[in-house]
Amino acid sequence: MTTTVSAAGLSLRYGSTRALDAVSLRLSEGVTGLLGPNGAGKTTLLKVLATAQPADSGTFTVLDHDPSTTGGRQEVRRVLGYLPQTPGFHPDFTAFEFVDYVAILKELTDREGRHREVRRVLAEVDLSDVRGKRIKKLSGGMRQRVALAAALVGDPGFLVLDEPTVGLDPEQRMRFRELIARAGEGRTVLLSTHQTEDVAMLCNQVVVMAGGIVRFEGTPAELTARAAGRVWSSAERDPGAMAGWRTGLGVFRNVGDPPAGAELVEPTLEDGYLITLDGMVAEVTA
Amino acid sequence: MRTRASAQLVGPVLRALPRRALGAGAAAGLVLAALPRLLSTHPDPWMALLLLRGAALAFALGLTFLLDDPARHVTAAVPTRRMVRGALRTALVAPFAALWWTAAVLLIPAQVRPPVGDITLEAAAAAVVALAASATAIRLTEEAEPGQRVAITLLATSMAAALLLPQHWGLFATPKEKWWSPGHQHWALILAGAAVVWAACGPEPIRRRGFFATRSAKISPSTG
Repeated sequence: MTTTVSAAGLSLRYGSTRALDAVSLRLSEGVTGLLGPNGAGKTTLLKVLATAQPADSGTFTVLDHDPSTTGGRQEVRRVLGYLPQTPGFHPDFTAFEFVDYVAILKELTDREGRHREVRRVLAEVDLSDVRGKRIKKLSGGMRQRVALAAALVGDPGFLVLDEPTVGLDPEQRMRFRELIARAGEGRTVLLSTHQTEDVAMLCNQVVVMAGGIVRFEGTPAELTARAAGRVWSSAERDPGAMAGWRTGLGVFRNVGDPPAGAELVEPTLEDGYLITLDGMVAEVTA
Repeated sequence: MRTRASAQLVGPVLRALPRRALGAGAAAGLVLAALPRLLSTHPDPWMALLLLRGAALAFALGLTFLLDDPARHVTAAVPTRRMVRGALRTALVAPFAALWWTAAVLLIPAQVRPPVGDITLEAAAAAVVALAASATAIRLTEEAEPGQRVAITLLATSMAAALLLPQHWGLFATPKEKWWSPGHQHWALILAGAAVVWAACGPEPIRRRGFFATRSAKISPSTG
C-alpha cells in the first residue's frame, strides 16, 4: 500500500516529560487506529501531525508535503482535517455558520461552491435538519458531529481524529463509527481512541503507543495474534496472570503466560493490546 | 486568494468578537470619563487625569478578551494563519476604539482636560500592552480563552505599578510635575516594547526554540 503520511524521529518534551520519543511511523489510505493508555503521547502525536503543535525534532510528510517551512505547513493544512480532543465552538453560530466559517479559513472562497460543500458535509454527518440551529442548543453528540463536519469540509486527504467517540452514548458511538468508516474511504484517517472495539471494527492498521514510544505498528489481526496462546479461561482467577476478570459466563478470562494444561481461548484485539503494554503501563505511570 | 478569504472572514470574525467583554470595558470607561458630567461637579485637573486613566485601563481590560477564541482548537490546523485572524479582529475593533477614546476625552471638561496627545499615548500603550499580554498567553498556553486571566493580571500589575514604581519614572505623573515629559518617553517605550512582543507572538512557530521551548513546560501534557 502507498504511504501517504510518514514520520521519522519525532520528539517533543514538556519540561521533564518526554511526550514523544523518536516516533517514526507510516500511514496509508484507510483508517489507522492509535491506541495507548493516558499519557502515552497520542494527543501530542496527533497535534504534531496536524501541525497544531511543533515538534522539538524529527520530520514528517503528509501527502508529499513537508511542513518544515511556513509555506510547506500551509500546504499540509490545505489537505488536512483535524478534530481535536476538546473541540470548542462559537456558541452563537449555527451549525451551518460555524462549518462555513471553518470552510473560509480553509480558503474555500467561492461562496456558492463553499455553501454547497458545507451542506454536503453537514448531510454526511446527518445534521442537515439542524443546520440552522445555534450550536449552544445542540446536544453533545451533535456538537461532536459539527466538529467532524468542520474537519471534513474541503474534502481533506488526511483526517486526524482525536478520541471522537469519548462521551458519546452507544447509539451515537455506532453512528460515529459509520461516519469514520465512510470518511476512511479514499483518504487517510488517523484515529486516536481508548476503545479497542473502535479499532477492531474500523481500522485496517493500528499503532500502539506508550511512554511517547511506538510499541506496535501493524494490522489489527497482527496485534490480536500477539496474544495467541496467551489467553485462557479458568474457574478461579489465575494469580500468575497479568490480567484476569470474571466474564458474564461466570468463568475467568486470564491474559499472560498460561500454566501448563490451561484451557486456551481465542484472543481478541484487546488481549493483544494488553500483552503489548505488559509492564509498560507501570513504566508510563511511574 | 488570501485577500478574498480575509474579506469573507470579516462577517464571521465580527460575529465571533467577544462583544460583551469589549462592550463592558468600553461602557465602564465611558462612565468613568462621564462622572463629572453625571454628578454635575467640576473636577480638578488631577481628578480629570485620574478618570481618563481609569477609562483607558477599563477599555484595555476589555481588550484582553479580544483574542479569545473558543474555537481555537478546531481551527488550529487551517491554512488561514492565526496571525491573520488576530489582525482582522484588531482591525475591526480599531475604528471603534478610536471613536470611543475621542468620546471619553471629550467627556472631560476642556478646562481640566490633560494634554490630549500625552494621555492618548498612555491609553494606546495600555491597549497595546493588553493585546500583547493576550497574544503571549495564547502563544505560551493552550487556553482558548485566556482573556479573564490576562485581565486580572493586567489589573493587578497596573495597581502594583501605580503604587510601587519610583516617582521619577513619571508613569503616573501629573502635567505640572517635572516627571510628566520623561514619563511619556517611558510610555512610548512601553508602547514600542509591547508592540514588539505582540508581533513576536503572532506567527506560529515551525519548531519550538529558545524561550518558547523552555516556556512550553508550562503547557501541561495532553491526556492521550
